[in-house]
Amino acid sequence: MMLPSMDLPFGRDPASRLLPWTVGLLVFLATLCLALGMFLASAGDNWRRSLSGTLTIQVPAGPEQQASSSAILQLLRGMPEIRNARQIPESEIAKLIEPWLGKMTPTLDLPMPSVIDVTIVDGLSVDIEVLGARLSSIATGTTVDDHAMWLQRLIDLTDIAERILLSVLVFLLLSAVMTVVFTTRTGLAIHGEVIEVLHLIGAQDSYIARQFQIHALWLSGIGAAFGFTFGAGAIMLFQLYGERLTGGLLPYIDLGDIRWGVLCILPIVAVLLVIATSGITVRRILGRMM
Amino acid sequence: MVAPGDIVRFESVGMRYRFGAEVLHDISFSLSAGSFHFLTGPSGAGKSSLMRLMYLAHRPSRGSISIFGQDVSTVSRPELASLRRRIGVVFQDFRLLDHLTALDNVALPLRIAGGREGKIRDHVAELLRWVGLDEQIDAKPTTLSGGEKQRVAIARAVIARPQILLADEPTGNVDGEIAIRLMYLLEELNKIGTTVVVATHNEELLRSFPHPRIRIENGVLVGPNDMFDLTNEVT
Repeated sequence: MMLPSMDLPFGRDPASRLLPWTVGLLVFLATLCLALGMFLASAGDNWRRSLSGTLTIQVPAGPEQQASSSAILQLLRGMPEIRNARQIPESEIAKLIEPWLGKMTPTLDLPMPSVIDVTIVDGLSVDIEVLGARLSSIATGTTVDDHAMWLQRLIDLTDIAERILLSVLVFLLLSAVMTVVFTTRTGLAIHGEVIEVLHLIGAQDSYIARQFQIHALWLSGIGAAFGFTFGAGAIMLFQLYGERLTGGLLPYIDLGDIRWGVLCILPIVAVLLVIATSGITVRRILGRMM
Repeated sequence: MVAPGDIVRFESVGMRYRFGAEVLHDISFSLSAGSFHFLTGPSGAGKSSLMRLMYLAHRPSRGSISIFGQDVSTVSRPELASLRRRIGVVFQDFRLLDHLTALDNVALPLRIAGGREGKIRDHVAELLRWVGLDEQIDAKPTTLSGGEKQRVAIARAVIARPQILLADEPTGNVDGEIAIRLMYLLEELNKIGTTVVVATHNEELLRSFPHPRIRIENGVLVGPNDMFDLTNEVT
């Protein structure tokens, strides 16, 4: 591998040959990890947005079902906090339960509740308990669901997943640090004689550390570039084919410019981490010498 | 106490390698600026160890060493590097960097001192011409003869115009004629004010160049033992 001309013969250093591969692999994994975290955060936001600010009201099946539903709709439309209240047609309900019960035929006479979809005015809220009591007085057994339980579970799940991914990311970066410490220490041992000559000629520790840092920049830069390219490629493929593969189970998520920007910073952070670790390791070890 | 004009001063210095036995015992002497000394003694007497102390490659296990008026045991690492830049060393085994060309080897002290690249190349090329290596500027040390390597080592030692020049057995690997030429070069440097110490046990060289001697035997300095009176130089 071509290296910039330097005082230390890094080309003869077998330990440093592994550095681009190691950094490349770690950056690849870290890119996937960070992207997955951002996918989850984005999906969580989408779910939150789609569920918050809405209520679902179910009027139980019965002989008075339609009359009760109309009365409830009238009540809801008269409330200033409610922007829109709409009874979901039976055909739409049938479609919603189709994955579980299959195609419903008109002959299948199941007692289906009426479902009313309610949208709340932005910035306002509705007291669920009070509303529930009022609606029950119109039709006994009417339920009001603000999706809070489902939303909370979703938030908890994405939070846990994000924390796990963050931990993995930290472990990956720590692995990079440990690899660089090992490589640098090996390099210092291999080039001990040359380093002594440089010292005796008057080189400061910072001069020698800079040589190691330039070398680390070169090798880790190559590794990080390859690792990030493969990682970004995998993410693009996932974006292209992910929706098709998951059968619409997961929402389509576009990372967007800002998240891609954050991802692009990752290899730069990795390289800076390698350079800083290399410099600190060299200075600490040389500081113990004469 | 450092006397005015003393550039190197050793006081009751002892030295040991790691936890081994002491190899130098109670070394006390001083060198005045612009002096030229031979450091003599049989093989294994401690010449190289004494040189290592002088070029700040090793700390004394006891006693004190001051170079350029600074106690080396109290200077910080950056100051130590600054002191070393004022000392040129021709190592016994040259210690050239094999992966660098002759030019890059000689340029090292200037690059380390932060010199400008354009000037460095001109300056180094001129010095290599002066030592007769203008044809080997881009040669790697592995392709050079012993004499050529030595001249590269000397060029590297003097390129930054050090105030002290230490040469450890510089004529050990070269023939008589080159050794004489080398000595003339060192004398020229001494004439322009460089303090020179040459460690050697080459009797012919000692006879040909009448400079004061510091003699070491079994790790101890012994008094002047020949025609050169050093009583005011070696304490």
